[in-house]
Amino acid sequence: MGPAHKGAQHRGTAGEPEVMASALEGIGKEGKKESSKKRSGSPVEGLLQPVKLSRAELYKEPTNEELNRLRETESLFHSSLLRLQVEELLKEVRLSEKKKERIDAFLQKVNQRIMRVPSTPETELTNQAWLRDGVRVPLHQVPYTVKGCFRFLPPAQVTVVGSYLLGTCIRPDINVDVALTMPREILQDKDGLNQRYFRKRALYLAHLAHHLSQDPLFGSVRFSYTNGCHLKPSLLLRPHGKDERLVTVRLHPCPPPDFFRPCRLLPSKNNVRTAWYQGQSPSGDGSPEPPTPHYNTWVLQDTALESHAQLLSTVLGSASGLKDGVALLKVWLRQRELDKGLGGFSGFLVSMLVAFLVSTHKIHTTMSGYQVLRSTLQFLASTDLTVNGISLCFSSDPSLPALADFHQAFPVVFLDSSGRLNLCADVTASTCHQVQHEARLSMVLLDSKADDGFQLLLMTPKPMVRAFDHILHLHPLSRLQAACHRLKLWPELQDHGGDYVSAALGPLTTLLEQGLGSRLHLLAHSRPPVSEWDISQDPPKHRDSGVLTLGLLLRPEGLTSVLELGPEADQPEAADFRQFWGSRSELRRFQDGAIREAVVWEAASMAQKRLIPHQVVTHLLTLHADIPDTCVHYTGGLLDALIQSLKETFSTGEEALAAAVRCYDDLSRLLWGLEGLPLTVSAVQGAHPVLRYTEVFPPTAVRPAYSFYEQLQERASLLPRPDKPCPAYVEPMTVVCHLEGSGQWPQDAEAIRRVRAAFQLRLAELLTQQHGLQCRATATHTDVLKDGFVFRIRVAYQREPQILREMRSPEGIISLRDTPASLRLERDTRQLPLLTSTLHGLQQQHPAFSGVARLAKRWVRAQLLGEELTDESLDLVAAALFLHPEPFTPPSSPQVGFLRFLFLISTFDWKNNPLIVNLNNELTEEQVEIRSVFLATRTKLPVMVIITPQDRKSSVWTQDGPSPQILHQLMVLAAEALPVLEKQLMDPQGPGDIRTVFRPPLDMYDVLIHLSPRHIPRHRQAVDSPAASFCRGLLSEPGPSSLMPVLGYDPPQLYLVQLREAFGDLALFFYDQHGGKVIGVLWKPTSFQPQPLKASNTKGRMVVSQGGELVMVPNVEAILEDFAILGEGLVQAVEARSERWTV
Amino acid sequence: MVARRRKRAARESEKGILSPPGYSAIPIKFSEKQQSSHYLYVREHKVREGTKSSWPQKRTLFVLSVPPYCTEECLSRLLSPCGPVQSVELQEKPDLAESPKEPKSKFFHPKPVPGFQVAYVVFQKPRGVSAALALKGPLLVSTESHPVKSGIHKWIRDYADSVPDPEALRVEVDTFMETYDEKMAEEEAKAKEEEGVPDEEGWVKVTRRGRRPVLPRTEAASLRVLEREKRKRARKELLNFYAWQHRETKMEHLAQLRKKFQEDKQRIELMRAQRKFRPY
Repeated sequence: MGPAHKGAQHRGTAGEPEVMASALEGIGKEGKKESSKKRSGSPVEGLLQPVKLSRAELYKEPTNEELNRLRETESLFHSSLLRLQVEELLKEVRLSEKKKERIDAFLQKVNQRIMRVPSTPETELTNQAWLRDGVRVPLHQVPYTVKGCFRFLPPAQVTVVGSYLLGTCIRPDINVDVALTMPREILQDKDGLNQRYFRKRALYLAHLAHHLSQDPLFGSVRFSYTNGCHLKPSLLLRPHGKDERLVTVRLHPCPPPDFFRPCRLLPSKNNVRTAWYQGQSPSGDGSPEPPTPHYNTWVLQDTALESHAQLLSTVLGSASGLKDGVALLKVWLRQRELDKGLGGFSGFLVSMLVAFLVSTHKIHTTMSGYQVLRSTLQFLASTDLTVNGISLCFSSDPSLPALADFHQAFPVVFLDSSGRLNLCADVTASTCHQVQHEARLSMVLLDSKADDGFQLLLMTPKPMVRAFDHILHLHPLSRLQAACHRLKLWPELQDHGGDYVSAALGPLTTLLEQGLGSRLHLLAHSRPPVSEWDISQDPPKHRDSGVLTLGLLLRPEGLTSVLELGPEADQPEAADFRQFWGSRSELRRFQDGAIREAVVWEAASMAQKRLIPHQVVTHLLTLHADIPDTCVHYTGGLLDALIQSLKETFSTGEEALAAAVRCYDDLSRLLWGLEGLPLTVSAVQGAHPVLRYTEVFPPTAVRPAYSFYEQLQERASLLPRPDKPCPAYVEPMTVVCHLEGSGQWPQDAEAIRRVRAAFQLRLAELLTQQHGLQCRATATHTDVLKDGFVFRIRVAYQREPQILREMRSPEGIISLRDTPASLRLERDTRQLPLLTSTLHGLQQQHPAFSGVARLAKRWVRAQLLGEELTDESLDLVAAALFLHPEPFTPPSSPQVGFLRFLFLISTFDWKNNPLIVNLNNELTEEQVEIRSVFLATRTKLPVMVIITPQDRKSSVWTQDGPSPQILHQLMVLAAEALPVLEKQLMDPQGPGDIRTVFRPPLDMYDVLIHLSPRHIPRHRQAVDSPAASFCRGLLSEPGPSSLMPVLGYDPPQLYLVQLREAFGDLALFFYDQHGGKVIGVLWKPTSFQPQPLKASNTKGRMVVSQGGELVMVPNVEAILEDFAILGEGLVQAVEARSERWTV
Repeated sequence: MVARRRKRAARESEKGILSPPGYSAIPIKFSEKQQSSHYLYVREHKVREGTKSSWPQKRTLFVLSVPPYCTEECLSRLLSPCGPVQSVELQEKPDLAESPKEPKSKFFHPKPVPGFQVAYVVFQKPRGVSAALALKGPLLVSTESHPVKSGIHKWIRDYADSVPDPEALRVEVDTFMETYDEKMAEEEAKAKEEEGVPDEEGWVKVTRRGRRPVLPRTEAASLRVLEREKRKRARKELLNFYAWQHRETKMEHLAQLRKKFQEDKQRIELMRAQRKFRPY
């Protein structure tokens, strides 16, 4: 009898709480094991316990070692926790000794094989017929004709360079860089000119590749570009067999030392002749050749491989702290996706930076890894390398070029010890700014007292789609070639060897940065990924690097303006402005009399204003770069559709909410000024989600059509009619109205209720008399109809919760004890208004809060879990995204906020951590104490604990749910939804159906109750909104509104209340209040166990005989029929889907 | 499902309806249309010797598992063929004492939404109980002559009922407050009378209404006094005055550090177990 146990575990939503408590962390089958373990009495897995140390252990004499360690922790690390965490992380990313030995052995063999590759006779460079089939030259040879000869000779020297030797390489992908010094005989004079060196380098690799690929030692032999540079291929070798994943050996051919004369390769020199590059005969007009700084740098890089390796090994060699620091920095960069691709801030760059800081005495060799990380970040945060370049060269040789020369040629400057090579040559200004921005954020995080700084700094990935407010993709990259011509970037193309993507990147970002101006906080671009290809294939084309993604971090204060103010018309800058904005620039006369050039964007609502950057970007790209808007795929407001009301598709509801709040403000003024109340009003506070801008669908003014309703004239009210579809749902907005304290209040709970009722009646009377408002008073509240909005005013007396708490002990002492009634009253009249006003304030600071909170709520409800999580708890989670955005910045668009919500929900360890939401920044030093109290009282607290400054211990808003199973289900759903949604948003072909993640999985429910849309008042709010629904008795024009509309009448909700009351012991019911057409029912497996005969558990059960014994089981068939009876008219069909129960 | 239902029907007809010992089962359905039925389990209301029960012995029928759509009137109508029914009381849980008879205010104590309930049916004569125990059923809650509203119709009726009559509310509040005020005045008068008059043992009651108000007898007040005392003592104490005090402070600091270290180690263990140190 009863459902199979396996299914119960899998569903994870039903079951007796104590068994399922551990399902929070255990996923699938693991959970089952743990639950059985738990039953046997061992402590709960994965739960922190308060530490218990005996007195003897705590107060024993310390050993010297212990004292030393404590002292070291104090001086070198932030805290002992951080120290342990850093040690663990390093253990995780470090290469183990065992693997190192295997790699060393492999390297030895590689060395031998390379030396054994046969040499070839000398041929012309253009004659490549000697190259065998099955291998292609890993370089685009454009133009093909190059003078010169080539022959292959085994390398003069094979040296391991880079991080492997230093011991700073980190898992998971271990690369060993090997420099192959080409013998002098291969090279000729003037090889530096016109890519000849690179051609030889490529041919050298091609020949090597062919021979090495024959060797069974290697599992794969492939080409790749060194750091993404299209002129410099490298050869990747991976061992054969099970070690294939172990290591990648990268071969970089390089010229013999002192082959190139450094003065020929200064940034101001030209080494690619225009005539050769454009395939013309040299024109003798003597026009100066453009300098080719990048080309020169790439040649120089090859010559400096060994000297860099030497420098690093002398600096980092013996200092383990420095090595730890470099490893940490690499992890830091990788989490931020900064280290890969052409112009990335690679691990090598960071090692050099650490070397620089050591040489300038900003870092000492005895520092710990954490301190190195901190000092480096501090330096990055405070230094702008685009303005003040740095140099590792300290010689004062006058022949060396000045830093300023480099600044002219490159956006970012960091010179190596020779003083001639710019290590940051490929780094764009925006990448540098992004690094700086990240470093600044990290420094703030490190300086704050946050407990989980380590987690946020080094363990949290920051993919672009989650880090930036808006994302845009430039899709067919071939468009950028045209853009290069339009932007007149021929010298740059020549310099980059025809790589139009990197040539156009800098100018494009500058253009957009200038255009977005005050709306923009940071613009970042993705770096083209480093591709790998088989040696028998041609190298990938520039356009094959897929897609260029730009991320915009917006400045919320700049977003509100629709105007781009230019200079006055008669100023000389006006022409520039006109040129920049093209046809969008117009002359306008302003109120102060000035006549100025200006650009005005069309945007009426907040949602549209947020998307002005889209208009700016498409306009500028079309105007200046010839990139049509079909190539620009802008991802910024795709999720807006889910929180738009049907009628106003241009707005995401901020305006409608503001209108409701304005109406509330008017009402509160009326209440303040009311004459004739026996006691004066001491406070009027909103307590409804609308009044804190987090109601998913904002209310609109109601204009009922009277013919649609039954009229109850003597009470001035409308009633729903059974023969019509359900009328529109109107939810009154709760307002709490505190009255002043007075000795006249009775001191008895029942009497206070009567007095409050009298006040409710009086309030209704006075509002009708003095302001002509339609009112309806009940014992607990007064409903007021004002301008089409309905407010529910609740009179409150401050001392009432206290009176409910009073208990008289036998000795006659009055003590205060919390009771359910007092807690509820306290929550409704004190905490809820406080929270509402605080979040209202938060919305004023962060305009995107409303959108994020509503999207989050919408999603949770769409997953049918809305009943379990209170409105307030979800609002607080959304608020946490704004108040504690680390390692991000507060979101400025609903889309990115929602992604982070999903991330938070899916990764937060609710079991061991409270979510601290520091509203108004009121908590300062108390966080540590809160955590220890949390640990000590963990078992008494709800599964989800949210701490606010007003509620430091009990987590009021999660007291009644979710249950562990529901929370687990929510985490699973969020973890599934996040990658799906991110993939959709990052897809340049367009996101596809964005509503996918909002559709709930229905296959896990045992019974589905299908509802008739006729009686679902909010039918049209559904995720997949129906094209047409029933008339809900509303007029589009304002009519006479003197009768109170039907309030809070939502048949599905009424039905659910009945279902839960009657069958709550047997089943769980799930429903999406926003137009859901289905109620999901899950049987509780434990209730389906046969029960012994007892008067208390006969509810809905019947007696059957089982094995000769009489037991009680649920009367499922009758219950299924009850579902239909209780919801007569509303229920369309009851579909029993599983056979998990048997009768 | 249909097959199974048929099988069950067959089984039922063979064996008759099962019921817990001491009870008899009466099938009950909402209306003719329903195929399967719930069961009311009924027995005579009996209590052990010595326990008090306000329900009349012999004449009271105890009913278990009353479906939510079955109201008191409805149950009374269904059982009236067995004999005239005096009263029907629906309750959430079995409760021996009769609920207080004074009618609750519908404004201040709205009826809760019903689930499955238990009922105490008091017949006018003991014969009714025995007749009810022999009832075969199935009982029909809603018939053509006495339709019971459910679903949309019920909700609309409930909504209409919930629209309050302000006058009735006012009247109720006024009467309540009048009695309350009277009661308070009476108590006050009594207290005044007793003030300063020693009782038989000679004790005089001192209240806060007197000329010199005294400390109220609440827990909070006594805690406050204790707190103040403690603070006064702490002010006088000297810190780190003696060498042993100094030593102890140091030791205390070390113990704190150790405790923190243990906590951190535990944390790390947990994180390691959760594979929290895999950066990507």
